[in-house]
Amino acid sequence: MAVEAEQIARPGRVRTYRKPRPWLATTGLLSPPVAWLGIFFLLPVVFIFLYSVNLFAFLPGTQGFTLDGWRGFLDGSPFLDLFWKSIRMSLIVSVASVVAAYPIAYLLALVASKRKYVLLLLILAPFLVSYFLRVLAWKVILGDQGVINTFFYWTGIRAEGDPVSWLLYSQFAVILTLIYVYVPFVALPIFVALESLDRRLLEAAADLGASRWQAFRRITLPLSMPGVIAAFIFVFIPTIGEYFTPLLVGGVNGTMFGNAIADQFGQSLNWLNGSVLSFFLLVVVGLLLAVFARFLTFRRLATG
Amino acid sequence: MSTEHDGERLERKLGRGDFLKLGALTMGSGVLAACGAEGAPEPAAQGTEGQEERPPIEEEPGNLVVFEWAGYEYPAYGGKGGPLQSYVDERGKPKFTFLTSDDQALGRVRAGYRPDIVHPCVDYLGNWVEMGVVQPWDTSLIPSFADLEPALVEGGQFDGQQYFIPADWGFSSPLYRSDMVEPDGEESWALFYDERYKGKISWWDSPLENFVIWGYVNGVDDPWNMSDEELDEARDFLISKKDLCRNFWSSQTDLDADFAAGNVWIAYSWGGSYVAARDAGLDVVYSEPKEGRLGWNCGFVLMEETENFRHAHEFIEAWSSTESAAWIIPNYAYGHANTAVDLTQVPKDLVEVFHLDEPAAREEPRAHYARPVTSADRARYAQRWDEVKAA
Repeated sequence: MAVEAEQIARPGRVRTYRKPRPWLATTGLLSPPVAWLGIFFLLPVVFIFLYSVNLFAFLPGTQGFTLDGWRGFLDGSPFLDLFWKSIRMSLIVSVASVVAAYPIAYLLALVASKRKYVLLLLILAPFLVSYFLRVLAWKVILGDQGVINTFFYWTGIRAEGDPVSWLLYSQFAVILTLIYVYVPFVALPIFVALESLDRRLLEAAADLGASRWQAFRRITLPLSMPGVIAAFIFVFIPTIGEYFTPLLVGGVNGTMFGNAIADQFGQSLNWLNGSVLSFFLLVVVGLLLAVFARFLTFRRLATG
Repeated sequence: MSTEHDGERLERKLGRGDFLKLGALTMGSGVLAACGAEGAPEPAAQGTEGQEERPPIEEEPGNLVVFEWAGYEYPAYGGKGGPLQSYVDERGKPKFTFLTSDDQALGRVRAGYRPDIVHPCVDYLGNWVEMGVVQPWDTSLIPSFADLEPALVEGGQFDGQQYFIPADWGFSSPLYRSDMVEPDGEESWALFYDERYKGKISWWDSPLENFVIWGYVNGVDDPWNMSDEELDEARDFLISKKDLCRNFWSSQTDLDADFAAGNVWIAYSWGGSYVAARDAGLDVVYSEPKEGRLGWNCGFVLMEETENFRHAHEFIEAWSSTESAAWIIPNYAYGHANTAVDLTQVPKDLVEVFHLDEPAAREEPRAHYARPVTSADRARYAQRWDEVKAA
């Protein structure tokens, strides 16, 4: 800030008004978001931590420091297994969404030259429908009397009354629905990365005799990696704590970590355990973000 | 993501609100509203012994706030011709705020919300009392109290005091498709564990009931207060059987949709789902298991800090009256705690669903109403149910 102040108050310039105080502007501009984060994010996180060690308690008069919640959770509880299961499901969802979204983004950015923004809007159109309804629609498609099973009956692939029942209320249903929900979301950062690609590089590659596949592999893909990684994070981080989709289509085996947290704060009224699970999730996600962020910056430096 | 939570809230609300539709289906609600409350008996509000320290009703602020179940937003409920008309005429319309689940209501009060009356369900009564936010009712201020179902009244006591006035109730029992399911011998809750119907069963996602059912099926001493060993055994059993379930339902709307779509043939169900499935043209049986049906019951607790002590009692008197029962039963397809209601005012099929003409069917051992459990016991059950779900 001192440097900035000096630059602004460069000698030789005619100054008719008061010496500006950029630190004031900086503080003024920064304090609302910082206060917002502090009050609505950091403070609650501190509260959650206090609940997780029972310094705050749901029932008045029962508080008192204990690590029992943490011990119980880390000592081979089923919730820890559930956490790894959630990570696994999120990984599948993230990778699949990125793979599915890449061609879409590619098409938009590099092939559909004139109408790309119209098409982009079309891809985002599902967001106009409530999340709840979009997930609900999958129940209609995947159910025992749903679109897919009815098709199977009609073609004789399956006998009537012998539906493929793992389509709905299963891990498969959760993963499929999440991929569907996240693909448009994921296409955006990849689209942006591909859009800013310097086309002259591709021309140069062609001039030098590279095939289109080679050009893609050696130029397009590496240069779009920051977008791909950003896209991956966009899916991976929120889906670890996913709650709503497994609730609607997960059945007994598609439950995820977020559902366990909701149950602890909800019907089980176990805020201690709920806070342990939440805080653990927060720490893991925080660590992952830190790692990804490093990787992202590094890639940017290396490629740009 | 806030939209997700809104969705969930909406969903639960629909589950409960669906009874409205049912009520409207079973009978034109307008007609029933007309033959509803025509002035409840005058409440004996003043001069009761032991209440000398309470100011008379005229000195109370009177801005009664009722923290009510979502589903009761139905304008007729708090309006003209509704069950509360006698109160509304006399004291003005209370302010209703809405809860969508017991735990949410507890959480909100925990965070400092202070209505005058709350409408929780009886199995959470222990949590309310232990949180120290409610006080016992003075039943001498509620003339209709004498007409309320004794089993429900007893269930509303905690530490020997009447902290809870029962209001609405219903059965919980296995519902199954009679064209697809052939019970093995007698009607029993054990149908929930029948390997022949793998993938077609839906248990209710609730921390107590699945253990209580296991307890009744296995004849333990007190299914509502099982030992840790019994609970562990039940948990392991439920984990071994959980793959028989298509899902654990949490919203009645979802369950009804799954029944209608043929995804589920056997489910833990409330009366409303039976009516919905039957009206959708399905061949269904609302079972009377040999171990007895379960019963849910919700009612009213009085907040400790209320300044509207007498208003609150008058409100409860209006709710507890026979006029209110004659309105609530057909319009919501719920049972009503008042047993003195004139059954000719109630649609026949609802008399049948709730066995209103057969008191024995509403008593032990044929019916086991939900009862209050302590926070510690809820935690013991809930922890194991969470383990079943996470496994």
